[in-house]
Amino acid sequence: MLNLLNFVIWAVLIIHVGMLLVCVWRVWRGENIIDRLIGLDITSTLVLIILILIAIIEGNSIYFDVAIGLTALSAISTIAMAKYIADQRMF
Amino acid sequence: MEMLLQIIGLIALIAGTLFSILGILGMLRLPDVYTRLHATGKVSVFGAVLLLVAGISLTPLSLGKGLVLIALLLLSAPAVSHAIASAAYRTGIPMKSNYPDELRKHLPKKK
Repeated sequence: MLNLLNFVIWAVLIIHVGMLLVCVWRVWRGENIIDRLIGLDITSTLVLIILILIAIIEGNSIYFDVAIGLTALSAISTIAMAKYIADQRMF
Repeated sequence: MEMLLQIIGLIALIAGTLFSILGILGMLRLPDVYTRLHATGKVSVFGAVLLLVAGISLTPLSLGKGLVLIALLLLSAPAVSHAIASAAYRTGIPMKSNYPDELRKHLPKKK
C-alpha cells in the first residue's frame, strides 16, 4: 500500500511539472495578451499543487504556509493585471 | 484509520490529476479565449482542491492550514476567472462562434 502510494505521488509530481512546462510555453507563445494572462494564472495554480506534493513527500506541513502566501498574492496580482489590461491604467 | 486516510489520499490524488490533465488539454485545444478560460477554471477549482484533500489526509498537522487554503481558493478562483473574462470582453477580443451578443446593449458606448 505504502509502495503504491509512493509511486503514485512521484508520478503525479512528474505529470504536474510537465504541465507547468506546457503553461510556461503558453505564456511565451500566446496568441494574444489575455491568453498569456490565463497561462500566468494557471502557472501559479500548478506551482501551488507542486508545493502541496512536496509537503506530502517531505511529511512536513510548513509548505502549506508558503502555499497560502502564494495563493493570496497570485489572486491579487492577476486581478490587478486584468484591470490594467482592461482600462489601460492602474487607478 | 491510517489505511483509510491513505486510501482517501490515493483516490483524491488520481482524481485531481485527471481534472488537471483535462484542464490543460482544454487550454491547448479549444478555439477561443472564453472557452479556454472555462477549461482552466477546472484546474484551479477541482484539481487544486482535490490535491489539497490528499495533502490534508497524508500530511500530519495540516488540517487547519489546508482548510484555510481550500476556503481561500474557493473564494479567489471564480473572482480571478471573472476578472480575466471581463478584461477580455472589454478589450474587444472576438468570440469564435457568432451567437447574439446580449451584453453589448447593456454597456456604455465605446468611443
